[in-house]
Amino acid sequence: MAESWIQHALRRTGWRPQRQVASLTVLGMIVAVFVGALYLSQASSTSTLGRQLNELIEERDRIQQENEALRAEIAGYRTVERLLRRAQELGFVQAAANQIQYLVVDGYNPGRAVTVVELQAVENVLPDYDESFVGWVQQGWDWLTEQVESFTNQGAG
Amino acid sequence: MQATGTLNQQETIRRRLPVIIAFLVVVSSVMILRLASFQLALPPEVQSYLESLRDAGYRRTLELAADRGVVYDRNGEPMAVNTLDYMVGISPNLISEPRRTAQQLASALGLNELEVFESITSDEPWVQLAARVPASVRQQLNQMDIVGLTMTPIPRRSYPQGPLAAHIIGFVGGDLRGYYGVEGYYQDQLAGQIREREISRIPFDLPEITQIGHGRDVVLTIDRDIQFLAESELLRAIQESGATQGTILIMNPRDGEILAMANYPTFDPNAYFNITDENALRNPAVSDQYEPGSVMKVITVAAALDRNAITPDWTYNDQGALNIAGITVRNWNRQAAGVVDVTRMLVDSLNVGAASVAQQMGREAFYQEFDDFGFGRTTGIDLEGEASGAMPVPGDPTWSEANFITSSFGQGIAVTPLQMLTAVSAIANDGLMMQPHVVRQFINGDEVINAQPSALGRPISAEAADAVTQMMVAVVNSGLDNAASLPGYTIAGKTGTAEIPTAIGTYEANASITTFVGFLPADDPQVAILIKLDRPRDYWASQVTAPVFRRLVERLVILMEIPTDDIRLLLASQGGSVNGIQR
Repeated sequence: MAESWIQHALRRTGWRPQRQVASLTVLGMIVAVFVGALYLSQASSTSTLGRQLNELIEERDRIQQENEALRAEIAGYRTVERLLRRAQELGFVQAAANQIQYLVVDGYNPGRAVTVVELQAVENVLPDYDESFVGWVQQGWDWLTEQVESFTNQGAG
Repeated sequence: MQATGTLNQQETIRRRLPVIIAFLVVVSSVMILRLASFQLALPPEVQSYLESLRDAGYRRTLELAADRGVVYDRNGEPMAVNTLDYMVGISPNLISEPRRTAQQLASALGLNELEVFESITSDEPWVQLAARVPASVRQQLNQMDIVGLTMTPIPRRSYPQGPLAAHIIGFVGGDLRGYYGVEGYYQDQLAGQIREREISRIPFDLPEITQIGHGRDVVLTIDRDIQFLAESELLRAIQESGATQGTILIMNPRDGEILAMANYPTFDPNAYFNITDENALRNPAVSDQYEPGSVMKVITVAAALDRNAITPDWTYNDQGALNIAGITVRNWNRQAAGVVDVTRMLVDSLNVGAASVAQQMGREAFYQEFDDFGFGRTTGIDLEGEASGAMPVPGDPTWSEANFITSSFGQGIAVTPLQMLTAVSAIANDGLMMQPHVVRQFINGDEVINAQPSALGRPISAEAADAVTQMMVAVVNSGLDNAASLPGYTIAGKTGTAEIPTAIGTYEANASITTFVGFLPADDPQVAILIKLDRPRDYWASQVTAPVFRRLVERLVILMEIPTDDIRLLLASQGGSVNGIQR
C-alpha cells in the first residue's frame, strides 16, 4: 500500500522536530527578552520616579525649613526694642496719657451685640465629580443635559 | 565466565538501585519539607530574626523629629520659633585651589586663614570647619560655590524677642527637650511625635511619602507689648531703687489670663548655656515665696467682712500696741491711732487693727477663709516649678497662737507673688477667684483649642468684695499709697512692706521686701497688678513700689486703651464698655 503524504512527510523529515524545538526555543527567548526588557524599562522608570520623588521631598523639607528661618528673621526685625528705636529715628515720640483722646459718639455703643447675617445656602446643581469612570460618564451626561436644557429654555424664551 | 560476571554486576545494580533511589527520594523529601517549613511555618522569633537580617541588608529606618510647635503671644507675635544652624565641613581632596579657598572660607567663617589652609590641605577625607553657623553665613558660603564644601543643617530653637518673657517661655536644650516655662510644661504638646521612615536601598522601591508631624502651636495670654513695658519699668525700678530682685505681674482678674510676668534678674533663652547659676532659670513669680506684709490686711478684712465678723462701719480703739498670744503687736509708726474704722485701719496700714480684726473673726474662721483664698497651695498655673507657699495651721509643729495673729498682717505666712495677686484678683472679680494661666490657645493644623477660664472658687461674697474695693480705693486716694494714684482713674490698691526672715528665725535689719498690689478701674477692673522689689535702698513700699505702680499704669492704660473714668462711664451709660484687652 502506498504510503500517504503525511506518512511520507513524517518519515522523510527526521530533522524537522529538532528545527521546531529550536524555533520554539528561539521564540521563547525572544518573548523572554521582550518581557525582560519591558520589566527593566518599567523598573528603571519607577526607579527614576522614586529618585525624583526623593528630591522633591528633600526640596519640600528645605523650603519648609527656609520658611521657618525667614519667619524667625522677620520676628527678629519686629521686636519691640527695634520698632521703638526705628520709630524714634523717624521722629515719633510716645504719647502721654493726657494726650490720648477717646471719642464718644452719641448713640454709638461699641459693646453692642453683633449680628451676623447667615449666608444663603446655594443649591448644588451638579453632583460632585468623584474621579471614577462612572463619575466621568455622569459628569459628561450632566453637562449634556445642562446644554440641552439651556438650549430648550432659550427656544422657549 | 565474563558474561556471567557482567550478569552478576547488572543483577547487583538492579538490586541496589531501588534502595539508592529510595534513599535519594527520602533525602530530597526531607530537604523539600524542611525548605517548605522555612517558608511556611517558622516560629515567630525565628521569622522576625530572619526578617531583620533581610531588612538590614537593604532597608534602614530613619527617625524624623517633628518640627516643634511655635509659641506666639496673644496677638500672634512669634516668641519661640524653629530655625536652622549649619555644620560646615570640607573634603580636602576635592579642593583645587587651597590658598584661595582658605582665604574665602576664613573670611566667611571668621577663622584664622592659616588654620583653614592646614585643614583643607590635610590627608583626611573630610574635615569639620565650623560646628554651628547661622543661615546668613550659609548663604554667603553658597555664593562662593566651593566644590567639596558640605553644610549639614542642625535644628535650633530660636527666641526672636531675646530675653523678653524668658521665665514664661523657658528654653529648649541641646537634646531638643523643653525646660522651664511653657517649653517645659507643654513639652509633649509642643514637641509632636517622632516618626520613623523606612528607607529602602532597592532602587525600584518607591519612597514612602511621609508628612512629618508638627507639634502643636501655643498662643500665650501674654501681650508682648505689655510684657515689654513691665520688663522696662521693672528694670528702671531696680536701677532707681537699688533693689536686688523684682517681679511685676499683670493679670486680667475676670478670666485669670496673665498679660505680663516680668522678673529681674532674667536670662536670654538663646544663650541659656551661658548661665552658671541654675537658680536664675527659676521663675520667681511662681517659685519664690516670701512674707507679703501689709498687703495681706486686705485679705484679712475681706475674710472678716465675708464672715460678718465685722461690718464696714466696725471700729476699734487703736492704742499703738496690742499684747496678745505672748507677743506685742505694734503699728509700723509705733503710734496709737485712737478709735478708727476698718477703712482708716487700711489707709494707715495699722498692724494692731489687722490683729484685732483677726481676733474678732476667730481662729477657725480665719484659717478657713485663708484656705479659700488658696494660701498654702499652688494655684495650678500652667508653668513649671510653682511653689505652694507656707501657711502653718493649728496642729502643725511650726504653728503657734502668735502665728495666727501675725498672719493677719502678712508675717509668719509665706506666699508666692502669683498667689497674692490671684487672691487680690478675687476681690476685683466680685469675689470669684479665677485660675491664673498663661496659655490661651493650642493650634493643631486647622484645629484650634481654646483654653477655657476656670474658677478656683468663691472665697468671699460680691458684697464683701465691693466693700473691700471701696476701702482699697481710699488707700490709694488718701492713704500712705497716694503715690500710686493716677489722675482720671479710680485705682484700688495696697502696699506691703515685709521684713525678711533669717535662717535662725529673726528678721534682717534694715532690709525689706516691698510690694504693691492693685487693680483698675476699681468699679470695672480690667487689670490687676502686683509689683515686688526685694531689698531696696528705701525701706517702705509706699516710697518704693507705689511710684513704680503709677508709672507702669500711666503707660498701661494707653496700651490697653482704657479711657479715663469720665469717658468710660459715658460709654457705659450708652450701654457700651471699653475692653482694651480684646483689642
